[in-house]
Amino acid sequence: MRTLAGKLAGLVLTLVVGGLLGATLVRLAPGADVDEREQDARLSEASLAALRRENAAPDGVVSFYAGYLGRLIAGDFGKSRGTGQPVREILAERAPLTLRSAGFGYLLAWVGGLALALLLAGLRSSWLDVVGAGAAGLLLSLPAACIGFVALWTGIGLEWAVGAVLFPKIFLFSSALLGNLYGRPHVLQALAKGLSSARILVFHVLWPAVPELAALAGATTGLAFGAAIPLEVVCDSPGLGQLAWQAATARDLPVLVALTLLVTLVVKTSDILAELVRSGLRESRA
Amino acid sequence: MIRCLVALGVLVLSGLAAGEELRFCLRADPKTFDPALVADEYSFAVQYLTGGVLVRFNRRTQAMEPELATSWKVDQGGRRITLQLRQGVRFSDGTPFTAQDVIYTIRRLLDPALHSPIGDSFRSGAGELRAESKRPDQVVLTFPAPVVNLERLLDQVFVQSATSPLKEKAGLGPFVLKEYKTGAQLLFARNPQYWKRDKQGRALPYADGVRLSIQANRETELLRFERGEIDLINTLDTRLYDRLQKEMPRAVADLGPGLDSEFVWFNQAPGSPLPAYKKKWFTSAAFRRAVSGAINRADLCRLALNGHAVPAAGPISPANQAWFNRDLKPHAFDPKGSLQMLEKAGFRKGPGGLTDSEGHRVEFSLVTNAGNPARARLASLLEQDLAQLGIKINIVTLDMPSLLERISRTADYEACLLGFVNTDVDPNGHMNVLLSSASNHPWNPKQAKPATPWEAEIDALMQAQAGLADARQRKAKFDRVQRILWEQTPIVYLLHKNYLVAVSPNLQGADPRPLAPQTYWNIEWIAPSGTRTISQR
Repeated sequence: MRTLAGKLAGLVLTLVVGGLLGATLVRLAPGADVDEREQDARLSEASLAALRRENAAPDGVVSFYAGYLGRLIAGDFGKSRGTGQPVREILAERAPLTLRSAGFGYLLAWVGGLALALLLAGLRSSWLDVVGAGAAGLLLSLPAACIGFVALWTGIGLEWAVGAVLFPKIFLFSSALLGNLYGRPHVLQALAKGLSSARILVFHVLWPAVPELAALAGATTGLAFGAAIPLEVVCDSPGLGQLAWQAATARDLPVLVALTLLVTLVVKTSDILAELVRSGLRESRA
Repeated sequence: MIRCLVALGVLVLSGLAAGEELRFCLRADPKTFDPALVADEYSFAVQYLTGGVLVRFNRRTQAMEPELATSWKVDQGGRRITLQLRQGVRFSDGTPFTAQDVIYTIRRLLDPALHSPIGDSFRSGAGELRAESKRPDQVVLTFPAPVVNLERLLDQVFVQSATSPLKEKAGLGPFVLKEYKTGAQLLFARNPQYWKRDKQGRALPYADGVRLSIQANRETELLRFERGEIDLINTLDTRLYDRLQKEMPRAVADLGPGLDSEFVWFNQAPGSPLPAYKKKWFTSAAFRRAVSGAINRADLCRLALNGHAVPAAGPISPANQAWFNRDLKPHAFDPKGSLQMLEKAGFRKGPGGLTDSEGHRVEFSLVTNAGNPARARLASLLEQDLAQLGIKINIVTLDMPSLLERISRTADYEACLLGFVNTDVDPNGHMNVLLSSASNHPWNPKQAKPATPWEAEIDALMQAQAGLADARQRKAKFDRVQRILWEQTPIVYLLHKNYLVAVSPNLQGADPRPLAPQTYWNIEWIAPSGTRTISQR
C-alpha cells in the first residue's frame, strides 16, 4: 500500500513538473506571442493591436504559472494555436480512434508474439527459431512509417500496423525468455520425468515469466502510442498520433504540452501497474 | 446468368465508386466557421461552399457579376452603394433572405469589437455606416468616406441571416455543412433552398454533396487522386505536378502565374540591432539594385520551380490583368553591371570577397521559413548568384512564429526571403504593406513619418488612388507606385509562382483559373462523374 502511494505521488509530481516545464515552453518559446494572422494585409492597426493583446503572455511569472496549473488541474489545456479550439475538445475527439487502434494493435501483437514464442519454445526446433527470429528481425528493421505505407497500400486496418510494429519486440523478448526458462535444469528434468507439457508450460515456464512479461507489457504501452504517430500520419488517420505530428510541425505548443502530459500519464500508469504486478508476485513467492 | 450477375456487380461497383459527390482535400482544419472572421484559405473554402455573396468576382472574366444582388450602383464618389436584391431567396433553413440580413451582415462586419479582416477592408474613415432599406428588395449603404472598389469587396462578404435561429449555420450558398470531424473530414450536402438554376431550369448545384478530407500530406493527397478517391487538387507543388503529368497528363493544368510573389528584403529599420555599416548597405538603393541585378530570375524559375513560375518585376503579377504595370520588366540579370554599380557605391571586390568602403566583408544572413522546399532551393540559388559578386549569404531557416517574431517584433534579422499570398487583385490589398506607417511594411515598419522621399511619395500615391473613383486615374497612380518600387528596390521581387492544379477528367464543368479558389470557384456548376447530363451557362 505504501509502495502504491509512493508511486502515485511520483506520478502526480511528474505531471506537475511536466506541466510547469510545458508552461515554460509555451511562455518562453521564440514567437510564442506572435500570431500568423498578423500578416493579413487587410487588418487595420486597431485589429492588429487587439490580436497582439489577445496573444500577449500575462504579466507576472507567479500568476502565470499558478493560473496555468489551476487550469491544468481543472482539465483546461488552453486553446490550440492552429485551430483555436479548446485542446480538451480536440483530445476528446481524437483519443477514441488512437485508443482503439493502439489498444487492438497492442492486443494483436501480444497474442501473436506470445503465442508464437510459446510455440517455438515448446517445439524447440532450431531452424524454426531461425525462421521466427529472421521474420521478427525483418519487421523490426522496418521503420514504422514503412509499415504504415504497406497498411495504406493494402488497405488493412491501422491496428494491424500497430501490431506489426510491436510484434517483433514482444516476440523476440518472450522467445528469449521462454527459451531460457525451457532450458532450465528443473524443466528438463520435469520433461524427462514425463510431466505433462501443459503443466510444464503453465507452472514452470509461464508463471515464472510473468514479472518480466509484466515489465514488457508496461514498456510496450508507450511503444504503442509512439508507433501511432508515424502510422496515423502516413495512413491519414485523425487520431492523437496525427495530432501530435501536426502540432509539432505547426509548433502548436498547448496541444504538444497536453499530449506530452497525456502520454506521460498513460506510460507512467502502465509502469506502475506492471511494477505492482511484479512486486505482488515477488511477495507471494516469498 | 453468370454474365448478367457479373455485369450487375460491375454496375453496382462503378456506381459506388463514381457517386455524385465532389471530393477534395484541405491541408488543415478550418480555423473558424464564422463568415465574418474568415482569414485562412480553409475557412474560406467552407464559406465559399456554404455562403452566398451579393456580387461575385468572376474568376474567368475578372469582372463582377450579380449574385444575391441583381444590380448595384455606386455613387457619391464611392461612399454609397445601392443594391437591388434578388427576390424569393431563402437561407438553407428556409428563413427568407431580406434587406435586413444585408444590413445585419455589414453592421456586424464593421463592429469594431469583432476585428473582422473583411470588415477592416471596408473601414474607410471615422464615422458610422448608414444602412437604409426603403423597399424590401433594396438596400442603400452609405459609408463615412469613399470605399474604393466597393462592389469588389462585396465578393468576400458572405451574407448572414439576422433572424435565423441557426445563426451563421444558415447559409445562402450551394451547400450546407452536414458533418465535421476534426482532423478528418467535412461533409456538405446540397442546399435544397439554393436559388441558382441552369438554363434548363434545373436547380444547382449539380453535385449532391462535397466531401473535404483534411489531408496535410501532399504525397497521400496525390496517391488518393491517382486512385480516384478525390477529384481535385487545388494547389500542387512542382515536383508532384511533374510526376502527375507523366502519369495522368489529362488531369493536370498549369494555370500560369498566380497573384502570389516570392521576394527578398533587407532590414532597414533604424532601431534594429544590426551594426551601423550593415544598416548603411541595406539603406543604399545602389546596393539593393545591384543585388537584384545579380539574381538570375530565369534560373530561379527553372531550377527552383521546374519552370512553373515567371520572373517578377514587382508586387503585381501579370495574372492581375487590371493592375499589372506592363511597362516594367524584371531587373535584367547582369552581374557585371551590378559589380560596377557596387564599385560606384564604394564597394570593392577582392580575393576575399566583396568589401565596403570601410573594409567590412559583405556578408549577411538570409532568414526564411522552414518546411518549404521550393523556398529552400530559392535560397540556395540566391547564395550562388550573390557569390559571383563576392557577397556571402548565410541561410537561416526558422519556424514561422520565430521568423515572424524577428521580422515584426524584434527586427533582429538582416535579410528575409518570404512570399506574399495575395487574394485581392485591388491595390488597396497592398495598403498595409506599402504604407510607411503600416505594421506590415516589411523593410521598415511603423514609421512615424516616411523615412525617405520615395516612401513619402508611395504613401501619397496610395492614399490618393484610394480616394479616386476613376479606374484609369487609379491605375496611373498605382503604376507610378510600381515604378518607384522597381527603381528603389526596397523589396527584391523574384518570381510569381504558377498555379498548378489537378482536376479529374471525369468532372464536367470544372474551369480552373489562377485566382483563388482556383479549381472550384464555380463549384455549383461542377458535376462529378455519374451526374446526369449538364447544360452550359
